[in-house]
Amino acid sequence: MSTNCKLIENGPLEVSGDFEILDTKGIKIESEKTVYLCRCGSSKNKPFCDGSHKSTGFSG
Amino acid sequence: MNNPNDRQYSNGEITVFWKPAKCIHATTCFRELLDVYNPRKRPWVNMQGATTERIIEVTDKCPTQAIYWKYNKDLSEAEKAGNQSHDPDNEVNPEVLHQEKQPLRPKTTIRIMPDGPLLLEGDFQLTGEDGKEIKTMVMTSVCRCGNTLSPPFCDGTHRKTGFKD
Repeated sequence: MSTNCKLIENGPLEVSGDFEILDTKGIKIESEKTVYLCRCGSSKNKPFCDGSHKSTGFSG
Repeated sequence: MNNPNDRQYSNGEITVFWKPAKCIHATTCFRELLDVYNPRKRPWVNMQGATTERIIEVTDKCPTQAIYWKYNKDLSEAEKAGNQSHDPDNEVNPEVLHQEKQPLRPKTTIRIMPDGPLLLEGDFQLTGEDGKEIKTMVMTSVCRCGNTLSPPFCDGTHRKTGFKD
């Protein structure tokens, strides 16, 4: 099974399947089977989405 | 001082210089011009793959100037000499450099680049919300700062806006 990376409109990137996430220092982040990664730049819980895109009116 | 991994490629009219240490894998070059910039090939730069004008246009989009170009008539003597000394057995490309650093991995590795994009690498599909595939790639970078002018991909804007993690 490959990895599915789905762009949620005006929202985060949904990642599911066989993957791993490495943080800014290259250290593996333990995560759920499906994660939502911030694309708007405003999350307080980077790299994960915290819903901030809704209040900032992110489009993309 | 030149880095031993630095490379240069010429079509007789211009020379493209590649400095892998500066590459943040924004992937702009091979998304836009695979006939010239193909990380699956060695050498990964084929200067015969497009017109000089087109190569200049795409090379100028590199957000970090990991690739940049000069007219051959403007080259220094040392740079001219660099165009003569190509050792095909000593070719490197962006993917190989990465693999050397990261040996065994799951299907896809997602790297959070500091104050920068998400770097996706491996066996993945990038799809829209409707599940339709946008593009099949082995490596790409997705904007994380929210300000890219070519969403969903990184275009280097995070450097101008000073995006911080």
